[in-house]
Formats: sequence, structure tokens, C-alpha cells
Amino acid sequence: MGLFSRRREEVPCTVEVSHRFESLHAHVRFNNGAVVHPGDEVLVHGAPVMASYGQVVVEDRTATITRASLLERLWTRATGDFEFMELCEFSFSEEVTL
Amino acid sequence: MNAPTAAFAPEHDSTHPDTTAMATQTTLLNPRFYTTDFDEMDAIDVTPVRADWDKLIAQMKSDPNKGHFKKTADWDQIDWDGMEPGLRAEFIDFLVSSCTAEFSGCVLYKEMKRRGNNPDICELFSYMSRDEARHAGFINDALREAGIAVNLGFLTKAKKYTYFRPKFIYYATYLSEKIGYARYITIFRHLEAHPEHRFHPIFKWFREWCNDEFSHGEAFALLMRTDPRLTSGVNVWWIKFFLTAVYSTMWVRDHARPEFHKALGVDIAWYDQEVFRKTSAIARQIFPIEIDIDHPRWIPTLERLERAFVDMDAARQRGGIGGAVGRIVAGARAGLAFAGLYTIPARRNTPPASVRLEPSY
Repeated sequence: MGLFSRRREEVPCTVEVSHRFESLHAHVRFNNGAVVHPGDEVLVHGAPVMASYGQVVVEDRTATITRASLLERLWTRATGDFEFMELCEFSFSEEVTL
Repeated sequence: MNAPTAAFAPEHDSTHPDTTAMATQTTLLNPRFYTTDFDEMDAIDVTPVRADWDKLIAQMKSDPNKGHFKKTADWDQIDWDGMEPGLRAEFIDFLVSSCTAEFSGCVLYKEMKRRGNNPDICELFSYMSRDEARHAGFINDALREAGIAVNLGFLTKAKKYTYFRPKFIYYATYLSEKIGYARYITIFRHLEAHPEHRFHPIFKWFREWCNDEFSHGEAFALLMRTDPRLTSGVNVWWIKFFLTAVYSTMWVRDHARPEFHKALGVDIAWYDQEVFRKTSAIARQIFPIEIDIDHPRWIPTLERLERAFVDMDAARQRGGIGGAVGRIVAGARAGLAFAGLYTIPARRNTPPASVRLEPSY
């Protein structure tokens, strides 16, 4: 891993999107066991995976993982902790005043 | 704090002709993606709390709320078109941010489950992920009735993975689950006493709902108990930071929804203090300190923080050089106010020998 340089890799992945009453979820799994690290960026190729209401869509796709440079990784490790507020139900949706 | 984006863009939704009475909007859910130190999480050993742990996991496995999230005859029909526009906007914002939070929890817990190798931890996260996805689905259905379609297309957009230290996952998720419980139960009890203010049926579901939040919080309390260092030494300052950040964010956010709280018949300052009080009482199970919410500086400083946020928002909307300067000034005021809250001396507690609690409000 370079201090500034980024590397890209293409990995096969499975995308699952559930848009049902019982469960609203969406996940990406890398089929070759690739692991993402802090600051890495993941882009799933192709058109948006759209599940209409009541549907679960499972598709095999390809994803590009752009590996963070060493600096980015360190920066993300140092600052990521402060993004936790999103887990709170009263987290900021967009604006302070509606 | 930062803003998870919930972008509203009017869009025709052709799959649901039943909602044609209303212009359908699409809201893009855009959760963050997290990674953490999975080796550290795998090293957790729940042996010191094994008896309590097994009981809690067995309860989660039995899935007591499986039948709860169904629409029954209690689910009254809502005249969304007839709703006062200010209330409608704030209530939808409430539902969208709740849905985003549940959804983000689901994504985070699922990631933990998949990447971990510790069977105890993986089992816990699989149940929590299940619950969060179920809650998100339930809120999503309420949004659909309002003509809001959730767009899950975010997966094909570039996503950066951010990082959470394991201990911060414990503090943050413990607090968000417990404060979520306190918020839901406080609204539920209030509406039980004042049913005329119940303007939407979703509030009737809050009691059982918040029991899920409560037991998720219990699991994190047990996890923190496995390692005394997590709640002592310099980590006490981190706990105070998380408490202050969560409480003050809630204050600012709730004050941005005056119509919503007016419709509920709730005074926002009263409600927030009540939620803080319940959360602090519960958190005595594990945290050695609590915020002194009766301190004379507490409420005035929260009010200063809120005004700074409102001004920052106004400056952002103004734009230009004046707006940029205004944002810096308001940001500095917010920072000072936060520091003012953080430096209020905390109250000390000695957590009990046994961690476990049952929901009692």
C-alpha cells in the first residue's frame, strides 16, 4: 500500500435487496472473500438494484474496490468514530430547520 | 455532527397505482458503511457474564416480537392529504430519519455478523440485524401510505467505508438503543394518557417496539462488562463525550420539529429532559458517570447550542461570502456551547454487580 497511491480491484459480489414489509435491508457480499478496510471505496457495477415493494432481489454483480492510500486509511481511522450519530433515530436527516 | 442524506426528489412511482391520489416522492436511503477492528471483536470473551448472556441471547432467539409488527385493526387510516403541511413535513422527516437509523443499524450489525468469527458475537448481531430490518420495513410501510417511496439504489453508488473503533461501537450503539427506548416509551406513555393527540397509529406500536431497543442495549451493556477497562480511566471521558453529543444532538433535532411535538401535545424541553432522565437512570447499570441535567448551566447552554445551529443553517442557505463567514462564526459558537456542556461536572455512580435490567417505564 502506497502512502498516496490507490489500487483498484474488481471482485465478484452478490447483492441482496429486500423491500418487503417484514424486512427492509440491502447488503453486498464479496464472493471471493475480499475484505474492505477503512477508507476503501466500493462501487457495485451496473444499473441500480431496484426491488419493487414486496420483492427480494438477489443478483450477482461485479464491484470495484478502490483501496485507500495509507494516508487515507490513517485519516479514516482517526476520524471515523465521530460519524456514529447516524445510528440515533433523531440523527440529522438533512437540515436543522425544516 | 454530520448529515446522512435523505434526498427528496419528486418522482412518479408507477408500481403503485393505489397511491395516485398523492404525488409520490422518492427518498433515497443513504446509509454509511462501517468497518472496525474485527480481530479485537473476535477476541471478546463473554465468560464473565455467561449466565446473563445466554439468557439474553435465548430471549432474542425466541423472537418475542415476531408477531408484533403486523398491521391490525388498530392501524387507523390516516388522511395524509388533510394533514396540516407543516406537521406533515416534520412527521415525514421523523419517519425518514427513524427509518435511516434502523436501516443503518441493520447494515452495521449485518457487517459485524458476517466479518466476525466469534460465535457469541455473530449470533447477537444476527438477531439485532433482523430486528432493525423489521423495524425499517414497518416504518417504510407507514411512509408508503404517505406516498413516500424509499429508494434502495444506493448500493450502486460509490460508498466509502468509514471506521469505528470497537469500543466506540459499544458506547454509541448502547446509547442509541437505550435513548431510543426512552424516547419511544415516553411518547407511548404520554399518548396513553392523552389519546386525543395520537395523530398516527404507528405510536400504538411503540411499547413492544422499544423492548427490542431495550434488549439490544442490554447486550452492549454485557459486552462492556466483559472488560472493566472499557468503563474506567480515560474511557470515562469518552463516555462523557458520547453522552453529551447524543443528548445535545437530540435537543437540537427535536427543537427543529415544533409542529410535530405540538401535535403530540408535548413540550419539547420537558420531553427531552424526561428522556435524558430515563436514559441516565438506565445507564447507571454500566456507566460510572452521568450528565448532570439539573445543573444550572445545562438548559441555557443547550439553548445556545440550538441557536448556533439555527444560525449556521440560515448562513448556509444564504450562501456567498457572508454565508461562509456566518457559518464559521455560528460553528465556533456551537463548538463553545458544546465545550460548555462537556465541562459541566458529571455525577458519579457505582454500577451494580449485576448488569441486567428489565424495561420498567
